[in-house]
This record gives sequence, structure tokens and C-alpha cells, in this order.
Amino acid sequence: MAELFQTELTVTELTSLIKKTMEEGFYGLRVTGEISNFRPSSTGHWFFTLKDNGAAISAVMFKGSTWKVDFNPVEGDKVTVTGSLDVYAARGTYQIKCDSMEKAGSGDILAMLEMRKRKYDAMGYFDAALKKPIPLQPSRVGVVTSATGAALQDILNVLGRRAPSLDVLVLPAVVQGDSSAPTIAKRITQANSLLLCDVLIVGRGGGSLEDLLPFSEEVVLQAIHDSDIPVVSAVGHEIDWALSDYVADLRAPTPSAAAELVSQGYLDVRQTVSSVSAQLKKAMEYRLNLASGQLQRFDAMQFGRTINQILNNREYQLANASQNISVGMEKKLKAVDSRFQVAARELQALSPLAILGRGYAAVQNESGKLIQSYNDAIVGKTIQLTFIDGKRKAQIKE
Amino acid sequence: MSFEKDVSRIEEIAQKLNGSDTTLEESLALFEEGMLLTKALEKTLTEAKRKVEVILSEDTETAEITSFE
Repeated sequence: MAELFQTELTVTELTSLIKKTMEEGFYGLRVTGEISNFRPSSTGHWFFTLKDNGAAISAVMFKGSTWKVDFNPVEGDKVTVTGSLDVYAARGTYQIKCDSMEKAGSGDILAMLEMRKRKYDAMGYFDAALKKPIPLQPSRVGVVTSATGAALQDILNVLGRRAPSLDVLVLPAVVQGDSSAPTIAKRITQANSLLLCDVLIVGRGGGSLEDLLPFSEEVVLQAIHDSDIPVVSAVGHEIDWALSDYVADLRAPTPSAAAELVSQGYLDVRQTVSSVSAQLKKAMEYRLNLASGQLQRFDAMQFGRTINQILNNREYQLANASQNISVGMEKKLKAVDSRFQVAARELQALSPLAILGRGYAAVQNESGKLIQSYNDAIVGKTIQLTFIDGKRKAQIKE
Repeated sequence: MSFEKDVSRIEEIAQKLNGSDTTLEESLALFEEGMLLTKALEKTLTEAKRKVEVILSEDTETAEITSFE
């Protein structure tokens, strides 16, 4: 070291000495500070300043390391980086070259959340028995989220596509920062007190651990727990989580997924309707085919032949019957005729004309009464004599 | 809206259509009823007639529902 003061050095020599000293002396560092003047380069490296109340230091994080950081640093973020000092000889500047970066205090936050989670678990807030079913076909979906956020647009898009008739009620809430948790809780309570919807989506899009913190705050957990309306928690991305996920009746990995879950019933009915409608058409088609098959089996020629046969048969029966009737009639007439002959002969034998024929005459008085006794033949009266061939009048003398 | 009731009626109709003891006239009447129900259901389900509304006030007393879109 002593000889250094007696030697005349070039700038390069000095700088390389400084570089050697600093880079060999300062490595494996862990530094906490606030990000300022954050300048991501187009090639993927990050340039920024790390500062606190008393000092500032330039910092760089190369592309090979930045991909491992699970959040997008913004101005003012309090972070803890690991790395080593690096001297840029050409400009005589030094900076900290970062290998990793995490949000400062995130370890504390996670520990706090873990503790709170255990507390509410112990209180029974996560009980499966408390989970209310999500209605299959809600008539109105309430959405507690930022009115200007992408999450709301995602929800509206998904619902519009899957259940275009489903009404939506937006309950705007601040979803980030200190004022957030109370507004979220208030909106959940408001939806319940006015009974404005039959299912509630409570959530926001992705963000840092701190951004999502309001959904783990106790007022929000209490409001979800007290809600009579079933609540779907939809906070951040798939990998994010909040304590609201555990208290809610259903956890959705993202706001879009929440919209899919509450509209699933409508989609199912749509599918069922189109499937039963297809069934209906198929059944009718089958029925019509059956009918036309039956129609084809009907043979007009065969039908004509059958009908002719029946007609012929009937005609024959008719002819037969009329024949029978005339034969019967003839027989009957003959019988009557012979009876008539016998009766006529009998009649003839008994006829007074036959007696007259034998020379007798019938005697009648003037009024035509037959005189059978001489007492009736009064002297002087005119009588009538009937002969076989005519009549004569006579007068009784004695 | 009773989707379930309508859907089960359509299913019932399809079953009757498949049955052998339904006459052709009955089948046609059933088919017509089924298709009418189907059309009505599809219309209800796919027609974009939703209302998107917002409650601006956080105060429940003065809360008013207004159109959002």
C-alpha cells in the first residue's frame, strides 16, 4: 500500500485497482432499498437506482436474472436484492449487480397471512359445511371489483359469451391500497342488505403480494363469512391466492374463471337443449320412416284382388240364395195347388148345384129364405124355385 | 324461467316419439310442441338481452341502480 503513494498512476491503473478492490471485497451482499429511476432496457436488462433516506446506489440486473423475479418492479417499490459490487471502468462508476430481487418485508407479510389463516381456520370460517351452493342459473350476478379494471371487462366478456341473458350488477370497489378492504367489505354487505343478486363475484386481476392483500383483510373475510349470497372469490392469477379464497363458497383461479363458473349452468342447459332437440328430430325422422315403410308395404294390386274376391264370393252367395228361394216357392205352390184340387172336389160334392143337377129344385120364399117345411109354404104366396139351369116363380095353390 | 321443467318436457316428448304406441298424428303434434319449446328455450338462452348495471353510492340508503354500459 505504501508504494502506491510513491508511484505515479494512470487513470486506468487506478481504476483497475479500485475495481479489483471493490469487486473482491464486496460480494454476496444483501441490500434493501427503494427502487427509483427504473429503466428496463429493450434488451431485457434492468437499470435502476436503489436508495434510502441517506444514500443512493446505481443498480443493474441482467436479463439472465430478471426472469426469476415474480413481480414487475415499479418506482418506489421497497426491495431486497442480493448481488455484488461492479465497477464500470470507462465511466468510473460503480453499481450493484443484482442476482435476485424480492419485495422487502414479503417474508413478514407471508408469515402474517399464515398466522391469520390459522386463526380463521380455527374459528371454523373455512368449514366445508358452511359453503353455500352456487346457483345453477342465477338471474343476476353481482361483481365486487374495480369498475375500471381489466378483471371486470374479462367477467363481462365471458358472461356475455356464455350466458347473454344473464344480468350483471357492478358494485365498484377500490381493490388496492389502504382504503381497499373497507370498500370491498361494504359492497358485499350492501349487496346482501338490498338482496341485489343471487351470486357475488369478489375479486381483482393479478398484482403483487401487497396488491392482493386487501382480499386477505379481516373486514373482507368477515363480510364474506356473513354473506347470505354465495360468494365466489376470484383474486389475481392462477398462482395467486388470498384468504378470501378460503372463506368464500367457491374459489376461482381468475376473474374470468369465476365468470365461467357462475355461467356454467346456462351453458349446460344450452347443451342439453341442443342435444334433446337433436333427439326430437331423430325420433320424428324415425317415426316418419316407419310410417312411409308401412305405406310402401301396401300393394294396390293385391288390395284390388282381395276386394274382387270378396265381391265375387258375395255375388255367388246371392245367386245361390235367389235360386233356393224360387225352388222353395215352386214347391210351396205345388203343395197349395194339390190341396186346392182336393178342397174343390169336396166342395163340388157338397154343392147344392150338384143336387139340383140330379133333378132337385131349391124352394125359397120371396125374401130368399129356404123353405124346408110345408108349414112355411103358405097358400097363395109366391115362391121361388131354383133349378140347375135357372129360376122360376110359382104360386102355392093348396 | 323453469329451464329444467321445459327440458324434461322435451325429453319426455322425445321418449314418447320413440314409443311404438304413439300414432302418427300424435307424433306430429308432440314434435311440434317439442320444437316450439326448444326454439323458445334457445332464444331465451342465446338472446343478448342482459342488463349491466352499477350502484355508484356505497351508502345503502341512497343507493341507486343505474345502467353501466
